[in-house]
Amino acid sequence: MSRDSEDSGDQVAALEAELDGMRRREASFRSRMVQEFLDRGERNTYLRTLHEERAALAGRAEEAPGDMKLLVGKLDAERERAAALQTQIAGITGSWAWRIGAPIRALGGLFARAPAPATIARLMEQAPAEGGIFTYYLHTSPFRIFRGAAFTLRGWVLPQDGSAVTGVRVNLGGRLFVGRVGLDEPEVIARHGPQAKNPSPGFEVAFETPPGRHMLSLEANLEGTEWRSIVTTPIWCVPAPR
Amino acid sequence: MALDRHDTHLVRSRPAMNTADAMGRWQESTSDLAERSAYKKVWDRQAKELDVAMLAVAGRAGEAMDEDTLSLQAKESIDTLRSTVGIGPHDVILEIGCGIARVGKPLSGQCLHWFGADISGRMLSHAARRLEGRPNTTLVELATVGLQEFPGDAFDLVYCTIVFMHLFEWDRYRYVEEAFRVLRPGGHAYFDNFPLDTQHGWQVFKESAGYPLGRRPAHLSMSSTREELRTYLAKAGFEDVRVHDLPSGLIAATGQKPAGVP
Repeated sequence: MSRDSEDSGDQVAALEAELDGMRRREASFRSRMVQEFLDRGERNTYLRTLHEERAALAGRAEEAPGDMKLLVGKLDAERERAAALQTQIAGITGSWAWRIGAPIRALGGLFARAPAPATIARLMEQAPAEGGIFTYYLHTSPFRIFRGAAFTLRGWVLPQDGSAVTGVRVNLGGRLFVGRVGLDEPEVIARHGPQAKNPSPGFEVAFETPPGRHMLSLEANLEGTEWRSIVTTPIWCVPAPR
Repeated sequence: MALDRHDTHLVRSRPAMNTADAMGRWQESTSDLAERSAYKKVWDRQAKELDVAMLAVAGRAGEAMDEDTLSLQAKESIDTLRSTVGIGPHDVILEIGCGIARVGKPLSGQCLHWFGADISGRMLSHAARRLEGRPNTTLVELATVGLQEFPGDAFDLVYCTIVFMHLFEWDRYRYVEEAFRVLRPGGHAYFDNFPLDTQHGWQVFKESAGYPLGRRPAHLSMSSTREELRTYLAKAGFEDVRVHDLPSGLIAATGQKPAGVP
């Protein structure tokens, strides 16, 4: 009798353990189902972003011939203006008044004051950083006509000496715009191998694009100590079309 | 979108803030009452810094708030969940409005998997840092009111604590409806708020009433009645709906999704 009750007790315990295991497997399945649902949602979001970027690129491609025409027109106008100024300068330096005043100008040059050190220091602070050697790619190209009030440069960067990129900024004609680094770029890591100091080499930096011509320098801070220019280019910014 | 824990390196650490500073920053971070429905904006503003976020979700910050104090608060919430709806080691749990994972962090050690959803991505970045090293946790930023990011029939327990006071009534019901959808048949739901007829509830009400008319903030706490919570759960389809008077002075409504409802 007691042997029977022991056996049935063992059976109950075994069944309970089996039931517990089954509950656990069922819950694990549901948990994975939620994770996969979330992953799918993220992939859909990523796909939509890619479609939007493709549409934006197509739009930019359509605008490119117009931009080129505009740039050629500006270049021709600048050439004409330069030629007119050259003629004007030749006329001035060839005149009697200019030749007579030459000794006075030379004397004036001797007594001219040097520029104020503070002004120089300020300009030096805002001058583009010296170039460094980087492997980089820009997802959003700066080689374009800028039509909006602001623009965001996105890409990835790896210093060739392997040092850590601890900051990124745009120096636009002396105005500094600080961005953020450490964005994931799994495809870059897959292609270039693990980067000990830059495991997430992506970056983005937003900057204002006031109308006019500016010198843009995209710069990286290395090891938290020095800024180095990744790429420097002149850019044209035009008012946004109404 | 799901927030990966490896995004935490984007969160910049700041020196610890004292209570007075945190209170000042919190005041600065509040939005206007007219923006109450813009939950993402309102709560992202309040979550720029961890101390301010703590003040917003736990009522304390600076030297008055540390992990031990947070754990103590969380224990009370977990004990309440255990006594009202039960918690099992195999449970897959979802918290609506998890904030900095005040409850989720300790609760994740008592269940199979804990999912934390919040409309504020910034809150979740603080939560992600606190949940480092806990693989059975997942954080999800909600795009808007609702749980559209989640599949149906998935969770054993969906709970929402210290959140309803910041929502409009329609949005409270939306979350109850959504909880019903994402629960597995037989799963349990829990929602709490403060009522007017307890000492704590009346105190909160009086403090809120003290704001000048033009300076009421968007997150201002608004009470629920027992009947309101009971109606939400019943209308959403829950059965065995109960309203509990909690020792903290809050009221909580619980219900079970019928076993036969897919």
